[in-house]
Amino acid sequence: MFFLDLFRSFKFALQSLWRNFWLTIVTVIIVTLAMASVSFLLIFNLVANNVVDTVKAKSEIYIDLTEDAKQAQVEFLVAELNKLEDIREVIYITPSETLDRFKEEHKNDEVIIASLESLSANPFTGSLKLSVNDISKFDALLTELSRDEYGQILEINNSEFYEAKDLLNVISDYSKKIEKLGFGISLFFVLISIIVVFNTIQMGIYSHREEIGIMKLVGASNWFVRSPFIIESILYSIISVVVMILIFYPLAVYVQPHIDNFLGEYTLDLVASVSSNFLWVFGLEIGIAILITVLSSLFATRRYLDE
Amino acid sequence: MITIKGITKKYGNYTALDDISLHIASGEFVSLVGQSGTGKTTLVKLIIAEERPSKGEIIIGGWDITAIKSYEVPYLRRQIGVIFQDFKLLPKKTVYENVAFALESCGVAAATILKVVPQVLKIVGLDNKIDHYPWQLSGGEKQRVAIARALVHKPKLLIADEPTGNLDSINTKEIIDLLIKINEIGTTVLLVSHNRDVVNGLRRRVITVEEGKIISDQVKGRYVL
Ligand SMILES: Nc1ncnc2c1ncn2[C@@H]1O[C@H](COP(=O)(O)OP(=O)(O)O)[C@@H](O)[C@H]1O
Ligand SMILES: [Mg+2]
Repeated sequence: MFFLDLFRSFKFALQSLWRNFWLTIVTVIIVTLAMASVSFLLIFNLVANNVVDTVKAKSEIYIDLTEDAKQAQVEFLVAELNKLEDIREVIYITPSETLDRFKEEHKNDEVIIASLESLSANPFTGSLKLSVNDISKFDALLTELSRDEYGQILEINNSEFYEAKDLLNVISDYSKKIEKLGFGISLFFVLISIIVVFNTIQMGIYSHREEIGIMKLVGASNWFVRSPFIIESILYSIISVVVMILIFYPLAVYVQPHIDNFLGEYTLDLVASVSSNFLWVFGLEIGIAILITVLSSLFATRRYLDE
Repeated sequence: MITIKGITKKYGNYTALDDISLHIASGEFVSLVGQSGTGKTTLVKLIIAEERPSKGEIIIGGWDITAIKSYEVPYLRRQIGVIFQDFKLLPKKTVYENVAFALESCGVAAATILKVVPQVLKIVGLDNKIDHYPWQLSGGEKQRVAIARALVHKPKLLIADEPTGNLDSINTKEIIDLLIKINEIGTTVLLVSHNRDVVNGLRRRVITVEEGKIISDQVKGRYVL
């Protein structure tokens, strides 16, 4: 009985899709547009997060070693720090490497270069290059490293250190703000999409209200009347997401160079990142579309079924 | 078949039916007449549980439907065939599908449907138009589809609310002849009409209502208004 009803509901749904051709087209277009705007936001967030992540991954801090630091102590500290979970990598930079880095950073500043060259010895000590997995952990880590027991080897109390620390905090703050803003805008778009899709489904069912009444008159149960509408909604959703994905790929290929151009080294390969999560993305999109359309049709049919 | 005891139906303050009582036995052909707005359709709606009475009791084929639950209504509807002045066909379904729908909606097996629907369409004389859509049919043909749909459950009771209101005299006669034929095979028929010629031509029981009250009930009645 259940499967017979289900089969018949499917049959009615397909007939209705076909026989109300223009209504179907309009509904599919609107659901597609709604899902496309949600997806656009999703992709935008993806790209923005990628930029933030790249910045985060590149953020590193140099801690100078004191002149007294002995090679063995330094090596031991590096080994210990590398064991910590929050730390991605600690690298020991020798004094000459530090000198090279400094020269590179100030290569346009002739005064500095000249004064460096006037010195007979390398004025720099060695340093540690520290990078973490999670930028928000930096602060606690640095506080930890400022403890007295490291004072002998680490030159914590110079202003360069604190500037770096501040910069990291700023980056961390920004990335949180970008995430929040992205989430807020997405929520707004999702809300608008839900309202638009809801109204479209409502209007479609409104145009069938007399038929709903007739079906009830000839003895159809509420669920028998309703299930073709629900199946139709599921079909609208699937068709819309498929259409959207068919449009996405050529579009992504078209805009990729512009994104590359705009973001430079922070860019993201759209096709690759969607393709590598294809089932997940596809499933999520269809899931969202089905959720919205089915709930809308449940709600809309309720009106004419006087439950 | 139908027992109605002291039924009153109010829409807000307006009393559409006022303390109506009547009994229709199995196999009868009863005409319900009266001017427009006197509560005939309201009575039909009470019998098919589209509306609930404000007061009184309704028993259909032994089933007290006075306080019928909404999930039981489909079972009642499958036992009563109803046709209306405006046919109430599903516009996007063919003749065959319209009739089949009544069976499909209550889980009748496909094999039975394949057998019964053409039979019923033959009875109403539409076996040559099964793939037509309602908009491709004349008024009389549409009403015959509605009758076929009403009959497909083999109901013991057929209610026709002004079935010929939208039809010319030739189609009217055909529809009434069909109703008589249906009554002759054992179905109780309640015909709501204000067509004087139709009612007088039947020479059957006539119940007359006026302003929500029964003013006459004659065994071989005539249209008295
Ligand atoms: N749903 C309703 N709400 C309020 N008044 C109604 C409703 N349905 C019918 N009526 C009123 O009840 C009266 C009887 O209507 P109806 O039974 O349709 O008359 P008839 O079928 O005899 O022409 C009319 O005056 C009509 O306006
Ligand atoms: Mg009426």
